[in-house]
Amino acid sequence: MNAFIEFLNNLLPFLYVITFAVYSYDFMKADKRLIHYKRLFLFTTLLTHLIYLLVRTIAFDHPPITNVFEIFTALAFSISFAYFVLELVTDIRGTGPFIIIISIIFQIISSIFIEDLMEVKEVLRSNLLGSHVFTALLGYAGFTMSAVYGFLYLLLYKDIKLSKFGLIFNRLPNLEVLERLSYISAVIGFILLTIAMTIGVIWLPKAFPDFSYTDPKLISSFVVWVLYGIGILSKSFGKWRGKKVVVLSIIGFVMAIASTMLSNFLATSFHSFY
Amino acid sequence: MNLLAICINHHTAPVDVRESVFLKDDETKKFILDIKGRILKEGLVISTCNRTEIYGLPSDQNITSQDIQNFLLEYKSKKELSGEFFRHFVSRAAIEHLFSVAAGIDSMLIGDNQIFKQVKESFEIADEMHFTGFLMKRVFDAAIRVGKRAITETEISEGAVTVSYAAVQLIEKIFSTLNKKSALIIGTGETGEIAAKHLRDRGIGRLALTNRTFEKAERLAKELNTAVFPFDSFKEHLHKFDIIVSATSSEGLIISKADVENAMKKRNYASMVIMDIAVPRDIDPSSADIDYVFYHDIDSLNIIVEQNLEKRKTEIPKVKAIIDEEVTGFFNWYNSLEATPTIKTLRDHFEMVRSEEVEKNINKFSEEDREKLDIITKRIINKLLHHPTVELKKNNETNIDESAMKISIIRELFGIDKKEE
Repeated sequence: MNAFIEFLNNLLPFLYVITFAVYSYDFMKADKRLIHYKRLFLFTTLLTHLIYLLVRTIAFDHPPITNVFEIFTALAFSISFAYFVLELVTDIRGTGPFIIIISIIFQIISSIFIEDLMEVKEVLRSNLLGSHVFTALLGYAGFTMSAVYGFLYLLLYKDIKLSKFGLIFNRLPNLEVLERLSYISAVIGFILLTIAMTIGVIWLPKAFPDFSYTDPKLISSFVVWVLYGIGILSKSFGKWRGKKVVVLSIIGFVMAIASTMLSNFLATSFHSFY
Repeated sequence: MNLLAICINHHTAPVDVRESVFLKDDETKKFILDIKGRILKEGLVISTCNRTEIYGLPSDQNITSQDIQNFLLEYKSKKELSGEFFRHFVSRAAIEHLFSVAAGIDSMLIGDNQIFKQVKESFEIADEMHFTGFLMKRVFDAAIRVGKRAITETEISEGAVTVSYAAVQLIEKIFSTLNKKSALIIGTGETGEIAAKHLRDRGIGRLALTNRTFEKAERLAKELNTAVFPFDSFKEHLHKFDIIVSATSSEGLIISKADVENAMKKRNYASMVIMDIAVPRDIDPSSADIDYVFYHDIDSLNIIVEQNLEKRKTEIPKVKAIIDEEVTGFFNWYNSLEATPTIKTLRDHFEMVRSEEVEKNINKFSEEDREKLDIITKRIINKLLHHPTVELKKNNETNIDESAMKISIIRELFGIDKKEE
């Protein structure tokens, strides 16, 4: 079983890279014949990834959410899966490579550093932890999508302003769609992060004796939450639009990822398990 | 096949020469009435601002494409026009040329859909004037198929290749749906009118016009069912519009950067697209520096046009492959219409049916009757096929079109083509 897990762990980055290559080729050439094939590549990669996550859960007797590298592989899956659903539902194409590359980064980091964890702290086997991490994970996937679409918005905005009518102009959806995708993803991410934080605030003090409200992860998550809250409210009330909102989304995403990594590697936190 | 064609188009003649032989719809009808029977027995006349082309089957074997050219020049009283402006095609070359025209690869704007519609309309006129026979209808069907395949199977008609369309393409890269957007057209000359019509065709939510001559704007507004603003006060309404298209013949700027700035403040910096397609420009180009103002002039729109034209050029080989395929298909069909092979295939078909039935039922007859059965059934087949055979041979010599039609019907009725496949 462990050999199979190891095999899938090594295979996944390659599958993501191949899928990325197919999507990128389609982005460059807009080859109509590739439309269905590229989706098939993404589906195969996601299916393999899902099998990997399930097999890992069964073999190590816990869902892969107990340390940052397990979370990264789950995040890589969530991001690409969310994009897959989005592509099926909205038929918006041309943004795939920009999303899949984020999955590649998370998956490569995970594949290199992840270890076979047979033993985890008892507290990490709790169902509430599962709900806490699961919602936070999906929330981060939402922020990732929001940041990517925000970044694409800025690229297209700049190209149109400068009358540069190249690949970005020809292949990406229009500015309004990119702005809307970024906003909706941020709203979904914000709702899920709110749920994750609520569960965390209720459960964490009971589960961890060394719990502290000044924990760096808690503070940074709260800052990220406030940042997205401000952006979403300003946009909803029509005060902010376009560039301002997407820049905020990108800053929020960078902070969210940085806080996850920092709290696990540098700071002394009850959130560090590795 | 003795299909003849002459053409004069933007490749062969300057605009003044093309204009001199241009036939309006009513002129085309009259021209068809005159040429029908005298030079051509059936055919097609395509006449647009970029081309006049005449295709047809000659009334008799001595008629050449030069006779068609002479007839046209005489008809338009332009006998002095040099023959070098014309190109002549015969048989396969004529079909190939017609297919190229229908597919848009012979157009001034490669992949132009307009010509496809014009070819269709020309066939309708020919049909209305009873100028299309059995063969020309098949040619027409094939030409239409080529045009449709070129549009659906290649990207020959993709992307905007006129400034007005490029403006719409650019607008659609900023806004997702136009039905909730509003547009103001400043200047209702030809360019402004085209832009207004494009936007209306794309389903713009609200359209308004303004023009220095108010009556002119009012006339177009009536046609398009839109609002009109007086020219001296339109600036007060700028902020109400998401899209502004300016195409006046004004010598100087009519909208300053400050005007745009004011409008943007009033609309809380909601995106505004400004298309300045006037030469000289109407709107201060530095308006482009304002956030959420997407200012574009004719030069930047021309970049889109050039790019799309280049892209279309790369699609020409694919369209040519479709044309080759359809020309081959057409001639395979046409060659199958010869009488002798058809008669042979028909006789073989009947003989096969006869022998199969005889073989199946032979045991029901006594030894001495079997030979008689064979003779009698052969005689029946011969009698049944005698008249059709004579008719097909006779028609083949006198009337090609009628003969082709009869042969085609026979091949279809008896499923001969399917059997041969």
